[in-house]
Amino acid sequence: MDSQEKADKPQTTVIDGLVRFSANKSHDFADSDAEHTWIAQAKKGSQDAFYQLYKKHHKQIYALCWRMLADKDSAEDVCQEVFVVLWQKINNFRGESKFSTWLHSVATNVVLGHLRKHKNWLQRVFSIEEQGAHVVEPSVSLTDDSTLRMLDQHISRLPERARLVFVLFAIEGYRHEEISNMLKMAVGSSKSQYHRARQLLKESLTANDFISVEEELSHE
Amino acid sequence: MNKHIPQKKVISEQVLNEQVAALPNEMTPARDLWPGIERALNHKSQQVTTSQHRNVFVPSAWAASIAMVVLMSWFTFSPKMQQDIPTLVDSQKHAIPTQGQLVSFMQQNFQQQKQLLLASYGQPSVEKLSMAMQTELKQLADARASIRKALLTDENNVDLLNLLDFTQQQELKLLQQLYRQYQVI
Repeated sequence: MDSQEKADKPQTTVIDGLVRFSANKSHDFADSDAEHTWIAQAKKGSQDAFYQLYKKHHKQIYALCWRMLADKDSAEDVCQEVFVVLWQKINNFRGESKFSTWLHSVATNVVLGHLRKHKNWLQRVFSIEEQGAHVVEPSVSLTDDSTLRMLDQHISRLPERARLVFVLFAIEGYRHEEISNMLKMAVGSSKSQYHRARQLLKESLTANDFISVEEELSHE
Repeated sequence: MNKHIPQKKVISEQVLNEQVAALPNEMTPARDLWPGIERALNHKSQQVTTSQHRNVFVPSAWAASIAMVVLMSWFTFSPKMQQDIPTLVDSQKHAIPTQGQLVSFMQQNFQQQKQLLLASYGQPSVEKLSMAMQTELKQLADARASIRKALLTDENNVDLLNLLDFTQQQELKLLQQLYRQYQVI
């Protein structure tokens, strides 16, 4: 996908009757002057400036990696890889989109590349798909992480394809056409995986886990 | 405080949408990732060229490589050349390469093409490849070495020369296929 294209997308989308947050909610702020300076200096090889960019963005990128990979160790490794790739490719950033938008595109590509690199990825996909519509039992490391929100824990237990589509569409704001290109699947498959993910999440989350904001307010 | 425990039921679309919208933008990694990144940066150079330039560079490099192989094959295996050899031998004994020299030239040419290819993919490490792919590459390299060795003792074996050329091209093709998938953006 042309990363610069993504910036041209509308920043709000209506999903299931609700106006979703900005197309990529995690970077809905404009690049600051300081950031422009860091980018310019990093392009000239300044590691100090690059560190400032890292400090500003690494938590968002880690969140993206974690949600797509559903594995803490892999997410940390891939997050590092994202910033190494960013260092190598920062001269390709032409400023036609927000830096954070471009960075998320870089990160998404690195994560998907990481998944493709591993030879057993397809096998993993198939083995997960064979489990049908049952949510995979969480690993100890996931459930033990009390810092994670309940929804994140449930997302991490989704079958891989459903999880990737859900994260890319609902959280990262990609269109199904883009996702289908990235994941080498039909547009219809992307849509069905998204609805499957939503259905699985709704089934796995119970009213005990969440109450709506309105209900919460009314209880108070 | 009495806590009412509601009966288990599937959450509504609205609640799910609210929860998705409320997901945090950030997560904090358990370890400090910067030292590892910093180490890697010291060994990685930044790309000066844009992707557009690279798109031009890669096909150009390959076109040049193919042209070189075609020229080399033509000079080596052309019937006219073979017919001309006696004349050339008579007139310019020093200009005719021996089979050993030809093999060396092919090897040199192969290494140049390989370096060019790897450079175009940012000098990726072989360790990045899966074990199966590494094994396959090693088998091709071993086959290439065996053919070269055989050529040193088997003079004027055109079939072996062709086989060496074929093996080298297969290795380059495989490398190109393998490293293409590591490209991002």
